[in-house]
Amino acid sequence: MNDLGEFALMVALATALYGCIGYVLAARGNRLDLYLSADKTPVIVWGCVVVASIALWKAFMVDDFSLEYVWAYSNRDLDVFYKVSSFWGGQKGSLLFWTLLLTSYMVVVYFQNRKRNAKLVPYALVVMLTITLFFLVLLNFSTNPFERIPLPPEDGRGLNPLLQNYWMVIHPPTLYLGYVGFTVPFAFALAALITKNLDDSWIRLTRKWTLISWFFLCMGNLFGAHWAYLELGWGGYWAWDPVENAAFMPLIIATAYLHSVMIQEKKDMMKVWNMSLILLTFVMTIFGTFITRSGLIQSVHTFDEATLGYYFLAFLGVIIVICVSLIASRLPLLRSKNELDSFLSRESSFLFNNLVLLGIAFATFWGTIFPIVSEAVRGIKITVGPPFYNQVNVPIGLVLLALIGIGPVIAWRRATWAHLRKNFFKPVLIALVFGVGLWIWALPSNRAEVYSFIAFVLCVFVMSTIIIEFLKGTLARSHLHEETPLQALGSLVWRSKSRYGGYIVHVGVVFIFAGIAGSQAYGTHIEQHVKVGESLQIRDYTLKYERLGFIQENPTKTRAVAQLGVYQNGRRVWTGQPEKEFYKGQNQPVSEVDVRSTWKEDLYIILADFKEDDSATLKIYLNPMVSWIWMGAWIIAFGTTVSVWPDRLEARRRLERMKVQDAVFSPAQE
Amino acid sequence: MNHKKVKFAIGSVLVVFAIGYLISAGISSTSQYFFTVDELLAQKVAYTGAGLKVKGRVVNGSIARDPADQLLTRFSIQEKTGKLLVVYKGITPDMFQDGGEVVVEGTLSRDGTFHANVLMTSCPSKYEAEKEEGKTHPGSVPVPGTEPETPDFNKVGSGSKTRV
Repeated sequence: MNDLGEFALMVALATALYGCIGYVLAARGNRLDLYLSADKTPVIVWGCVVVASIALWKAFMVDDFSLEYVWAYSNRDLDVFYKVSSFWGGQKGSLLFWTLLLTSYMVVVYFQNRKRNAKLVPYALVVMLTITLFFLVLLNFSTNPFERIPLPPEDGRGLNPLLQNYWMVIHPPTLYLGYVGFTVPFAFALAALITKNLDDSWIRLTRKWTLISWFFLCMGNLFGAHWAYLELGWGGYWAWDPVENAAFMPLIIATAYLHSVMIQEKKDMMKVWNMSLILLTFVMTIFGTFITRSGLIQSVHTFDEATLGYYFLAFLGVIIVICVSLIASRLPLLRSKNELDSFLSRESSFLFNNLVLLGIAFATFWGTIFPIVSEAVRGIKITVGPPFYNQVNVPIGLVLLALIGIGPVIAWRRATWAHLRKNFFKPVLIALVFGVGLWIWALPSNRAEVYSFIAFVLCVFVMSTIIIEFLKGTLARSHLHEETPLQALGSLVWRSKSRYGGYIVHVGVVFIFAGIAGSQAYGTHIEQHVKVGESLQIRDYTLKYERLGFIQENPTKTRAVAQLGVYQNGRRVWTGQPEKEFYKGQNQPVSEVDVRSTWKEDLYIILADFKEDDSATLKIYLNPMVSWIWMGAWIIAFGTTVSVWPDRLEARRRLERMKVQDAVFSPAQE
Repeated sequence: MNHKKVKFAIGSVLVVFAIGYLISAGISSTSQYFFTVDELLAQKVAYTGAGLKVKGRVVNGSIARDPADQLLTRFSIQEKTGKLLVVYKGITPDMFQDGGEVVVEGTLSRDGTFHANVLMTSCPSKYEAEKEEGKTHPGSVPVPGTEPETPDFNKVGSGSKTRV
């Protein structure tokens, strides 16, 4: 089976190479026979990668430690669940996993467009095949997951205990689905540039791909945050680590793209901008992979495969050169037919939303690469940490939050004062009343609290605009069609899913902003060494350290469990059981925190250390509103689902809009 | 360019400048020098008192906890030549142990002791398992059926990842 897997990877490489060359030669020489043969390659490459993946999974299942990769990431005692996920637990497997997803996407694109879009699809397939080729070169020559050990050991080294957590099982695939997904819009964008089909057909074709990839990337980030929060036991969920930034930057740029394409679809503007954004999104996914795999940037995650970094750097360079030169050569064709009219318009609010999002992405990028830049320029490595990102991204983020409220409501083209007053009077009033109330209730006393205060007021503002939008639509419908409010709300959303789905996503984003604002400014923590029977106090919670117990769970795992009675206003509300786990063969223990999560705040307990006399060192965090972030994630998931749900009405509307645009603009062109 | 374009160009430039200002102000007020132990010791006079980040390996057997204050830890980190004594207050990460690679953040005092307020272990990563050089790597002789290790509870110095 291992030989088969290795062989399948070689065949995939050869086939992908043939496919790339075949498609290009067929297009140049107009040869149908060559085209037909090249057109079989995407499916064959996919099949080979599937075979290789099954072979690797099989090796994990049967504990085949003759494979170095299986030996390094699994052992006999490992739970089957984690044996499946060990597949992407390390460098080699995760690259194979990436290739598996990429080729699967490619095959879906292939069959989806079997009989249509003949102008773009072959070129898009060439782009995807080329990217697949790059990964296959890596898998065959640099990071072969089927590398053997001459004398197979009896047992493997096992999976890092930190990775034995269900969040960690779903987090990487989710992130990869997003990362890899952006290859599709990227491929179509390049295809449009190459073939000079620069109307918005490539955007319409890839709308769902973009949304779904964005969704997975967003969820991947949030799952990662949740994993870090529960598993790493440092009381936080985001540390602005280079690896986190690597996943964050494409998400932010893709968000900018998702918004600015609306302007192109409705107003036929910002073509160069959109093209650049989607290319940049893809470049950032590769850059992110490069950072995480090269070890170039000091991170809490270490990756010691420096040579792999060079492959990615070279690949990155080639992509950037191709993108820039293609855009430059097609510049005259990308010229907009419309222009912006007024600052007070939806178009310009989208423009500023884009600038702000790119600002966040750039600040994050600059902070991430700053150590390298400073070392190159000044010869000294200078790093920036979370304080930098917070100081820069928080104010920009607040502007973004305000724009989330303004953008969807302000009029297209040019908003009049009457119009502004009509749309914004109520939300602003509600936000102001709330702000005054909050100010009186909890006067901000430092900079973090002032930022949080502003964030909360803006959250209320945005929520009111969204709720008023829903109310207005619902009331209008129930009047017109004599429906009950609930019916009217349902059909309102049903009849323009992408619009209201988008609003729901905004609600989720507001929740995340609120959760961050609450937990960043109002959290507190204590660290204390206590004997059995002693108590700790954090805000209005009293925690009594009751006992320490040991549980030999199975031959490979022992747990030390501390028990704490938690009292609030003299009443016992919860029993906290933070743990430390000791695994056979791993010389480091793993802390298992215990969290009591409510909508108001999380009580988060870490068992840091203990002594022979059962006395323990505990660290306790009180993190307000963290659960709002995870709620926001589910709301975003729901909103995106609504947005991508097939919508015939919307498809018809789009088609009509295109016809109108063509009718208006075609005479002018001649 | 007509006046509308000029107007939007100015607006955009203002936004870009504002963001640029935030970034440069952020860099100058929050940045830290990053050194390895050897690099720091080669030029330590210049950096006493400044915000520093130092990377090194924990010297075997150097970890000592203060009997009076369980949260106070003293240890040394080294690279090739130099050794640096570190004093750290707070709970220590799970992976903080002899020979492990750590990054400490804090300041260097005049007597050459490093006062750390943040202690990070370079975690063996989400993706790459820790490689103990030469010992268990398949390049050398694999050890069949490693001895089952029973955790020694009395010896374990531990904790969780502390950041911030």
